[in-house]
Amino acid sequence: MNNRNIVLASFVCVITFCLGCEADNFQKLDERKWTLTWSDEFSGSELDLTKWKYDIGQGQNGWGNGEYQTYTKRPENIKLDTGNLVITALNVPFGGANFSSARIKTQGLFAQKYGRFEARIKTPYGPGIWPAFWMLGENISEVGWPRCGEIDILEIRGQMPNTVFGTLHGPGYSGGNPVNIMYSLIDARFDDDFYVYAVEWDDNKIDFFINDYLYGSIKKEQLPGDWVFNQPFYMILNVAVGGSFVGFPTAQTPFPQQMLVDYVRVYQESN
Amino acid sequence: MNLNKLKYAFLLGLCTCIFSACERDVEGLSTPEFPSIPQVFIDDFSAGLNYAAFGGSVPTAFQVDNKETHNNSSASMRFEVPDANDARGAYAGGSFFTSSGRNLSSYNVLTFWAKATKSATLDIVGFGLDLGANKFPTSISGVKVNTNWKKYYIPIPDPSLLTAERGMFYYSEGPEDGNGYTFWIDEVKFENLGTVAHPKSAIMDGLDVVKEAEVNEVIKVTGLKASINLPNGVDQSADASVAFFKFSSSDEKIAKVNDNGEVTVTGAGEAVITAKVGENVSKGSLTIKSVGLAPKPTVSAPVPTKAAADVISLYSNKYTNVPVDTWNTHWQFSTAEETFIKVQNDDVIKYKNLNFVGVEFVANTINATNMTHFHIDMWTPDAVTAAKSFKVLLVDFGANNAYGGGDDLSHELTFKAPVITSQNWVGIDVPLSSFTGLTKRANLAQLVLSGDFPNVYIDNVYFYKSNGGTGGATSPTSPAPLPSYPAADVISIFSDQYTNVAGTNFNPNWGQATVVTEISLQNNKALKYAGLNYQGTQFGSNQNVSGMQFLHLDLWTANSTELKIFLISPGPVETPYTLTVPTSGWSKIDIPLTSFAPVNLADVFQIKMEGNGDVFLDNILFRK
Repeated sequence: MNNRNIVLASFVCVITFCLGCEADNFQKLDERKWTLTWSDEFSGSELDLTKWKYDIGQGQNGWGNGEYQTYTKRPENIKLDTGNLVITALNVPFGGANFSSARIKTQGLFAQKYGRFEARIKTPYGPGIWPAFWMLGENISEVGWPRCGEIDILEIRGQMPNTVFGTLHGPGYSGGNPVNIMYSLIDARFDDDFYVYAVEWDDNKIDFFINDYLYGSIKKEQLPGDWVFNQPFYMILNVAVGGSFVGFPTAQTPFPQQMLVDYVRVYQESN
Repeated sequence: MNLNKLKYAFLLGLCTCIFSACERDVEGLSTPEFPSIPQVFIDDFSAGLNYAAFGGSVPTAFQVDNKETHNNSSASMRFEVPDANDARGAYAGGSFFTSSGRNLSSYNVLTFWAKATKSATLDIVGFGLDLGANKFPTSISGVKVNTNWKKYYIPIPDPSLLTAERGMFYYSEGPEDGNGYTFWIDEVKFENLGTVAHPKSAIMDGLDVVKEAEVNEVIKVTGLKASINLPNGVDQSADASVAFFKFSSSDEKIAKVNDNGEVTVTGAGEAVITAKVGENVSKGSLTIKSVGLAPKPTVSAPVPTKAAADVISLYSNKYTNVPVDTWNTHWQFSTAEETFIKVQNDDVIKYKNLNFVGVEFVANTINATNMTHFHIDMWTPDAVTAAKSFKVLLVDFGANNAYGGGDDLSHELTFKAPVITSQNWVGIDVPLSSFTGLTKRANLAQLVLSGDFPNVYIDNVYFYKSNGGTGGATSPTSPAPLPSYPAADVISIFSDQYTNVAGTNFNPNWGQATVVTEISLQNNKALKYAGLNYQGTQFGSNQNVSGMQFLHLDLWTANSTELKIFLISPGPVETPYTLTVPTSGWSKIDIPLTSFAPVNLADVFQIKMEGNGDVFLDNILFRK
């Protein structure tokens, strides 16, 4: 597998085309050889439970974030449909909550230290809608959060559908005070099409990409606390409704809201 | 890959510019394209823009303003909303339009900035009024403005259709709670924004509506909406012109739909009307459930025969009708729909989907005090079963002549088979005295029809004054029906059927003006009180009626409007009881003796009547 080379090739085309216009938009990236280590193309008819586990219910304090929804594994909230994973947030009361949605994770099934983690996603939208593709340290049950570390590859506030947040949480930089990078489209929105959200992670930095455009990098020495990103992490996909990061859903929030995931792929560097 | 949508998209924009410089419309020579100028009003009228105030509005409401502008630009549009009752006009409103068309097909929204001297809600703002064909009017309503400049968006439902649009912008706003104010609008332009997304449309307000119909009925698709999701994730909905929608029917043999969204029912069965805007399927649908050619009256209801002078008519070709505010108040939860049709050239009201319907004559309440009966003709195609009922409710607003106030009275009567039959005119003709809860009827204001028949035709709705059913007769021609109580249960004062208390004086001289005679009706005796003011009856002996339950009498009067009967024990102790008059023929009356408390029932000796008119009595007796 040499995904990077293909991508780079297409990059070069764009670059040559635009070069005469604006040199600053040329990205000279290190060439890497990625080997696929794990993937889910969501091409079946049911979620592959050898790869994913469901999180169910309302969690503690709304999964630690004051989220309003309850998570279920009902097809209304999560299903595979024509090659995509579809997570649907509903404003129909269920299980004691006013909203329902879904959250899945690879905890105990797959975790990896370093490499490239990517997903091709079309995000939901609307005030109070909070889609996320993120990771937690596999040692969370031993050391707890935030010492286990958290890498948020994709987070969006539905009331700002043109803005993505890439974020690291760790000891001394967590909750409302993480280290993050914000990236906005000027005349487009992430909920209008599929985008590939990725991180490339090694022993001293984590790079954040959208459609292979490197929009930010957080280096070990930049962190205000310990670098805890030196052990395997597992992945999580979810759509929350309401919560500390996103605020309240309103009467004007359009429902239902769907997050479509075309694939999730994980690579390790080869040579 | 959507690199073109990323931050450096402006690069691509540059590339696009280069492309478009190369693009030439080689086939465009035959059809000249209109210019795609996006600006409507930035700091001045854009090219070819005109303004016309709407009729009845303040003609000078719109002015160009150089002081209050968005972003310190050189000019904005200022709109002065008048106070209520301003002699110059009732509201501010007008349209900005161009003399020749513009090609707006490359834009997805009309945007503008607005602010006002106070928080207010603009009635309507839109585009597509060209003061000509007005083909594509699209508007947002209830637009909240305040003292800060804010950007607003009006979605263009299907831009590809706007290749020659002249209606650039229009507005209409009336006083807020009677008060005028000023608002400004600036930077009005068509834009193609990537920050708005998810264009959607809807018919029937996005609901799946089911309507029962019959062949030849025309039903309009309503609730036409278009929306776009704004940069803040909230949908902006607009009322969209029908011209943006392409309608289709699931079965043209049952229902056809034209470009105006008018559905014509053509056959029996079920057809679903849906729509598209461009290639996007609109949310919502209209399902037509057609019964085919529904049975309906083929003959008109019998023409009423009552003299016009004795009638207060609400609906009849025979009489001059009193004003009725509405034949369908559309009260909440009422599904009834009314149409006014003709049957053999006779006007008839048709109700369908009738669960209940309010009929109001509040503006001119009806005094039916002098009327004795209510009449309505009804016809239903629906199957009649023993359980199904048709109900008639009359409401009197009482002395205050207004709803509420504690003096309202009402009563509902229920009619079932065999009175109600299917596919026949049923003449419902009932004494107003049957509406027992309606003890007064000087301020009748509402009639409510309800029940289990969803399809009902009605005609000849009127109150009338009965003359005993003998066409103006002033005395009965037949005797009261003979009572059938066992003699052992009766103490009779006046009856051919029983042994009467001996020695009773039916005309004691108490100074009355009443003329009392005993008449014979088919060999059955009756008492006649002519020109009643009051009239006593002195029993032949004091009676102990404490073992009895009712004072019974049969009453006939065509012209009495006020009548009371008293039972009297020595003292005298007397208590009146009001009788419903006039009657419709012989009226059989049973008055519970408890009504006469504190009269001593163990020792009664007189009866007295007070009132007016000519009154006929028979079978005056006490019974168990």
